[in-house]
Amino acid sequence: MSDFVLLVPVFLPMLSAAAVYLVGRRSKKARDILADILGIGEFAVCALLLAYVCAGRVFSLEIPGVCGYGLSFKLDGFRALYALIAALMWMMTTVFSREYLAHYRNRNRYYLFTLLTCGATVGVFLSNDFFTTFVFFEIMSFTSYVMVVQDEKPGAMRAGETYISVAVIGGMVMLMGLFLMESRLGTLNFDRLHEAVTAKADLKELYLPGALILFGFGAKAGMFPLHIWLPKAHPVAPAPASALLSGVLTKAGIFGVLVLTGRVFLRDEIWGNALLALGVITMLLGAVLAVFSVDLKRTLACSSMSQIGFILVGIGMQGLLGEENMLAVWGTGLHMLSHSLIKLVLFLCAGVVYMNLHKLDLNSIRGWGRDKPLLNVCFLMGALGIAGFPLWNGYVSKTLLHESIVEYIGLTGGGIYRAVEWLFLLSGGLTAAYMTKLYVAVFVEKPDKPFPQTGRYMGLDSALAIGLPALALPVLGLFPSPLMGGAARLMQDFMVPDPQEVSIRWFSLTNLRGAAISLAIGAAVYFLFIRTVLMRREDGGRKRYVDVWPQWLDLETLVYRPLLEKALPFLAALVCRVLDNLTDWAVAALNRTLLRRKPIPPRNDGDYEPGDFTPHVRQSYTVMRISGSISFCLLLFGIGLCLAMGYLIFILLTR
Amino acid sequence: MNRIFMLIAAALPILAGALLPAWRFQKRRSREIYVLSAVCATSLIVLGLLLRRPEGALRLIRLTRTLDISLAIDGLSGVFAGLVAVLWPLASLYAFEYIKHEGGDDRFFAFYTVSYGVTLGIAMSANLITMYLFYELLTLATVPLVAHTGDRRSVRAAKKYLGYSIGGAACAFLGMMILYVYADQSLTFVYGGFVQERTPLILAGYLLTFFGFGVKAAVFPFHGWLPSAGVAPTPVTALLHAVAVVKAGVFAVMRVTFYCFGPEVLRGTWAQEVVMAFAVFTVVFGSAMALREQHLKRRLAYSTVSNLSYILFGVTLMTPAGLAGALSHMVFHGVMKITLFFCAGAVMYKTHREFVPELAGLGRYMPVTFTAFTVASAALVGVPLLPGFLSKWNLATAALAEGGVIPTLGVAALLISAVLTAGYLFTVVVSAFFPVNGEGSHGLELAEDPNLYMKLPFFVLTALMAVLGMGSKGLLTLLSRIAWGEL
Repeated sequence: MSDFVLLVPVFLPMLSAAAVYLVGRRSKKARDILADILGIGEFAVCALLLAYVCAGRVFSLEIPGVCGYGLSFKLDGFRALYALIAALMWMMTTVFSREYLAHYRNRNRYYLFTLLTCGATVGVFLSNDFFTTFVFFEIMSFTSYVMVVQDEKPGAMRAGETYISVAVIGGMVMLMGLFLMESRLGTLNFDRLHEAVTAKADLKELYLPGALILFGFGAKAGMFPLHIWLPKAHPVAPAPASALLSGVLTKAGIFGVLVLTGRVFLRDEIWGNALLALGVITMLLGAVLAVFSVDLKRTLACSSMSQIGFILVGIGMQGLLGEENMLAVWGTGLHMLSHSLIKLVLFLCAGVVYMNLHKLDLNSIRGWGRDKPLLNVCFLMGALGIAGFPLWNGYVSKTLLHESIVEYIGLTGGGIYRAVEWLFLLSGGLTAAYMTKLYVAVFVEKPDKPFPQTGRYMGLDSALAIGLPALALPVLGLFPSPLMGGAARLMQDFMVPDPQEVSIRWFSLTNLRGAAISLAIGAAVYFLFIRTVLMRREDGGRKRYVDVWPQWLDLETLVYRPLLEKALPFLAALVCRVLDNLTDWAVAALNRTLLRRKPIPPRNDGDYEPGDFTPHVRQSYTVMRISGSISFCLLLFGIGLCLAMGYLIFILLTR
Repeated sequence: MNRIFMLIAAALPILAGALLPAWRFQKRRSREIYVLSAVCATSLIVLGLLLRRPEGALRLIRLTRTLDISLAIDGLSGVFAGLVAVLWPLASLYAFEYIKHEGGDDRFFAFYTVSYGVTLGIAMSANLITMYLFYELLTLATVPLVAHTGDRRSVRAAKKYLGYSIGGAACAFLGMMILYVYADQSLTFVYGGFVQERTPLILAGYLLTFFGFGVKAAVFPFHGWLPSAGVAPTPVTALLHAVAVVKAGVFAVMRVTFYCFGPEVLRGTWAQEVVMAFAVFTVVFGSAMALREQHLKRRLAYSTVSNLSYILFGVTLMTPAGLAGALSHMVFHGVMKITLFFCAGAVMYKTHREFVPELAGLGRYMPVTFTAFTVASAALVGVPLLPGFLSKWNLATAALAEGGVIPTLGVAALLISAVLTAGYLFTVVVSAFFPVNGEGSHGLELAEDPNLYMKLPFFVLTALMAVLGMGSKGLLTLLSRIAWGEL
């Protein structure tokens, strides 16, 4: 097969987006079918490519000249797998959105921009140099904006504003980093980056470009302190779009961080520590926000942020562990994979709830899922998966990440890293706690008043779109060695240049112990904190979920917006306003002084006669007396004499 | 082609414009045909000249023993003349429709067509004195266009424009005299410059010429005329104040820097640092001003101020790579900005709305216009696959290859400015397509896309942007060869 096949998964969705839009203007039904076919086709292409890659084929394609610098693609194990995941998520969400979006307006626009985003995202995953990555990354940022604001409600617009601002600023900071990186290394090609860095030997001057690029990718991934858009944009987008934003688009950010870590800052301790610190904060903050949230999708969004934190911790450990980082490598890759699949299931479940009730507030949707076994099971699979329950996929990846921290503690003797381990377990516990909160609220507790019966709550295709990925979660967890291990083996080449053999006892006692500690913490948090502090009894009735997170405590409204909307514009406007008029003021000042025009004498003056070139300007009597008298002449003569004398004396004295 | 065609290209529009009132056109249609055929014929001649370039210079008038007025074409002229020749017919089409609600057609089209010839004259000048002549003529030919409406605001704007331009030209004249006396008495453009030695006087002369010609390129602090001149009819702002006049300023700076003083003499001097610092500052300054401007056309004008300094920044790097970046931005910015202005004009023409908050919800009623606006905005911000991204990439890599404090700051300035650009353009796009609670939609029911005359430029320009964005390898190589002095 020719290498040009790599263009298919990227440009098939992008080019057919227009076709879907045009078809949609004629017939909604045809458009839905076409979109489904495209989703399935994209998935089939990616699956086929993965099969080739598994058989040992590596595709790589350079197209010089396009966009001025040429695009460069490559398909290896990691990329093929992630392209497949992206395609899978697109297929499932497209199938699901037919029913979910049935009553939405502007559906053509939605399909247009989802397909564009799909192509761009696959483009990011297949890219083989930072230029190509950046090209598709930016397209993805802008097209996904429309997915966020699909509702056009004020809340969505505001979230979209945050989203696009972070994306634009992140993109430009990243571009600056790329420029610096290119000028210092001479290449942006992933295959040549590592050589260029080893030839350079001095990593110090790469930290600045590295940090700038990390800023851009981290902004998309939802890394602290650039996470602000994530808990806002995910809940307001339509559920299928949230699943994509959370499951795939954040991973596009992680993709860039992986390249930086594996190719530029390979086994670098400072880089590792920095990522670890950011990862721990993101992980913990996301989990805490999720525990406090009383909105189904917001909880899931905060959970995404927290899981990104887990992944970043894994990437940080890759840097720290040096030669022995295989556990961290596997953990990172597998947690990405797990999280994408889990979030697909969970967000689509939330979508089912919203599609029927048009509400997401836990108090309003409480108990809605009680008599819906299918939804119940699917959600439970996702919840158990993400909570890291043994036998589900989340357990596998979290265990690996935990093991890598333990390994590092073993190497260095602990210190601050012991705290990292406990924070890791605590975040895992919080994950279990907030998922229990959601599950209990939606599927266990009784509703305040019975919900009206409305026939079937979801169609067959939606059920398939949720059910199949949900089924995959325990299957992956039950057979970790062949499935998860195989996936990790595919992915490892991308992250480290020289992967070593790993042997992992997935269900060893120590590993189970870590999971048990986490789950115990989770249970404690749930019963001692969520059920007491976060639920209040209201006027003798039952307990209700309350949002006790202080409104003002929000990085965006507290710092970013005041800074960007008030402080900076004020300063800039002040400076600009002054500078803008500088030249005009100079001209005005000249007009008033040197270039002042002589006044034109009034015409009806009486003493103005035709042919008289010097019109008599009336002078005051005093002036006339002075200037006309002989004493005035004598006065002037005297002054002149004095000056002449002074001059003579001056000359004589200086001789 | 024969050298005489250069004279024809410059003289044809000038004569056609000057004679336009003499025909006393009664019907709008016949005037349109007259103007369009003159403009298209000129454009064809220019394209022919570019494809088969005549060798050597064509001397028109001999001024002194050493100085003469003469025309010649080299690579740099080709870029400017080609850009103008492609955009002028489109802008004329647009103007036919737009001018219907302004009136004064004869005067307008007369000066509009004359400006075309004068601009070509600037592009094809063989020496500094010829360029100076056409440069002054351009000022004079465009003043009536700025003052076209005739109300107080536009007359004031015209006066301001006149004052700034003449003042700038005076500065440039001084610099030119320094060159004449101390360097070379023929002032003929040579790639690499004709100045031999680096003296303080020469450097001061460079500063004078840079800021003198920089007035038309709206470099801070001489940018004030450009936003004020936005009161002119939109075809004028779009073509002259986004492409022809301002690019003439930039072009003149390129000529002076690379073809008179020469980068070897200037590189590493305080003069280079000063001009580059001013360019870098203007980049951020223009964008910041645009962000706080609520009048759409003035906002675009400030955006032009900023973008012109991108080009100047590339020029002041004084490396061939920098000049290549500058040339690419000169071409791309021309295409992008003229589209934005056309859209703003279409909105004003159809709805009489000029301020940004008034545009909320218009996207639904004027889909073609706002799609073009969106594409051009994204291009100007620097979204990949569209041309603006490429030129910024070129400029930034050239700057970083040069190293040093000011170039690095300049790259940061480019990116900050890109963020600000997103701020001042995407807010327009977003409020047009996603009005919050349907605000501002009353009274819009009659708003619609303009007719084909105005829409055709949108289609052509949007397609051009897509082509330039994705398939411009050839063009970039060509520009780079020009910048290296190979063409």
